[in-house]
Amino acid sequence: MTPVLTFGLFLLFIVITLGITFWARANTRGTDDFYAGGRAFSGAQNGLALAGDYMSAASFLGIAGIIALSGYDGFLYSIGFLVAWLLTLLLVELMRNAGRFTMADVLSYRVRHQPRVRTAAVASTVTVSVFYLLAQMVGAGALVSLLLRLSTDTAKIITIVAVGAMMIIYVMFGGMKGTTWVQIIKAVLLMGGTLALTVMVLSRFGFNLSDMLGAAADNSGKDGFLRPGGRFGKEVAGDPLGTLLNKLDFISLALALVLGTAGLPHIVSRFFTVPDARAARTSVNWAIGLVGVFYLMTLALGFGASALVGQQAIAAQDPAGNTAALLLAQALGGDLLLAFIGAVAFATILAVVSGLVLASSTSLAHDYFGHVLMFGRPRESQEVAVARFSSVVIGVLAIALAVIARHQNVAFLVALAFAMAASANLPAILLSLFWRRFNSAGVVAGIYGGLGGSLLLVVLSPVVSGKVDPVTGASLSLLPKGIDFHVFPLENPGLVSIPFGFLCAVVGALLSGEKVDPERYEELSVRSLTGTGSHRAGPRRSRRRRGRRANDARGVT
Amino acid sequence: MVGEARHRSTGVPQGWYAGLARDRRFRLLRTRFHRLAVGIVGSFLGWYFLYIWLSAFARDFMARPVIGHINVALLLGVLQFVSTFALAWRYSRYARRMLDPLSEALRDEAAAMEAELEHAERLAAERRRIENWTPPRRAAHRRTRGEW
Repeated sequence: MTPVLTFGLFLLFIVITLGITFWARANTRGTDDFYAGGRAFSGAQNGLALAGDYMSAASFLGIAGIIALSGYDGFLYSIGFLVAWLLTLLLVELMRNAGRFTMADVLSYRVRHQPRVRTAAVASTVTVSVFYLLAQMVGAGALVSLLLRLSTDTAKIITIVAVGAMMIIYVMFGGMKGTTWVQIIKAVLLMGGTLALTVMVLSRFGFNLSDMLGAAADNSGKDGFLRPGGRFGKEVAGDPLGTLLNKLDFISLALALVLGTAGLPHIVSRFFTVPDARAARTSVNWAIGLVGVFYLMTLALGFGASALVGQQAIAAQDPAGNTAALLLAQALGGDLLLAFIGAVAFATILAVVSGLVLASSTSLAHDYFGHVLMFGRPRESQEVAVARFSSVVIGVLAIALAVIARHQNVAFLVALAFAMAASANLPAILLSLFWRRFNSAGVVAGIYGGLGGSLLLVVLSPVVSGKVDPVTGASLSLLPKGIDFHVFPLENPGLVSIPFGFLCAVVGALLSGEKVDPERYEELSVRSLTGTGSHRAGPRRSRRRRGRRANDARGVT
Repeated sequence: MVGEARHRSTGVPQGWYAGLARDRRFRLLRTRFHRLAVGIVGSFLGWYFLYIWLSAFARDFMARPVIGHINVALLLGVLQFVSTFALAWRYSRYARRMLDPLSEALRDEAAAMEAELEHAERLAAERRRIENWTPPRRAAHRRTRGEW
């Protein structure tokens, strides 16, 4: 019964969003529409969409599961995910003013060698997006087998392919307009569903938080369920070095979470969907409010699941706890609520992957095709066609990788995507905006250094090889037992790779001897702080179009 | 080549932005923003990592109960949310009061200047067009190619 109901509700979501997508297709004409939704969304709308882009299934199902199984430590994820938005709030107006569609617009504004900088930015955007995509899509495959109780391999593959096909349709036809509405609907559904669950959980305990925590702790049968250390930074008895490494690993994760958000490509590309910088600020404030309330509610979901469902039942269905929120819904509201929350979870996955595909195809079409291959002078229709085509390429790539990795535990990829965004993108953005001597070589060195550094550290870490369960002796890494080349002891690279990214950017800029154009730096700082000449919506002609008209007059097409 | 085209497309004379950047109001705007940003980043990162450090190294302190089953860790965690909301609110209020009026004034002035420049440019283009005018050639040769 429930699977049918879930499927029905999900189908309803698909029908509505497809309708919106085709409406958006009819209203999408140029690059402003396709990449930035015509810059016509209000602050509140874009805030909802930002929250929709950000609250992934990993955070909805994943955090609830971690809290339910490991107690308090899951909440640390929630805090990191929220606090990060303050950095975004400080950068959003500057980036909205300085850029046009992508992060690369901001990075290449003042440098001499645009193509190199743009190529580096595309490389990092696509890499971060694909890793994040992979985590979400493998998660979708796992979710369907749990939710629809189809544990066959074919069901997983079909789900991954179906989710991938839907996201390609959203992005290819809907562009930013369609995708934004998908995000808004998803955000409303997710907030509504979570709020309903939270109120129902709390009402079971007479709205007494302390009682709920007590019941959760009692039901967990674990000592210290409510104190830190259940999952991150575990104490290893008689091994002070191991304990210290565990704790450093935890700090490394916290660093990546708090510094990564401002560099996530699908978040950055949302800065440009509003008319001006002030609306961009409003939208981030909305996002902070929504994301904050949502992550506070994960407490009720996680502890509520532990108290009302019980750890054995949760762990029996999925050892990682990803079904905790779903089981909680079933315990509270029966099959109907379970079906609803299940459909919301699918909508969540679908919306997040669409945002990621859109961000990377925008980057490929606008930065790589438009500015590297066509020297910044493609026809708008060409660029949009390339963007549509790239969304198919990225989508198919993600589907293929997800199908290959469908049996792996890829939850670490989300944290890795944050670490890569923080190590590769953040140094380049910050130094471009605030350091007078920064130049092309610095951007390129920073991005490739941060990206390569974090990737290399993960490959050499226990995530990939050499981590063995001390009790059963089974391999906990990606590679089977027996292969062990791990040299780097931490599972999260951020603690080393983020400073390394900054170091590469600074050293690269200083060593290159490339001359800096001081006028361009002044221009960028005036423009980013005041918004002169920024790309706006409405009747005001954009600079680009004026530039093209001038080119046409000169006979350059 | 790309750099050159880009400069041309901004359509403003050399030194224009440098002049704006030297404007007293712009310097005030920049100083205010930098001070605010450093203050906010310093306080939230400091407070967040203090909390992370406590979670990693002061677990007995964090486990101390405050009200019922609510312990220090949970209380501080929720306070992280409160402080995030408070800092976002503080930033937005400061920006509305102290940054927006300055940036708006500068932007309006720049837009007016740009409009003036554009107008002058258009006049110059019109003049060039008139000066370089040549009588159109007959299209007689086309007829022989049988294009009609």
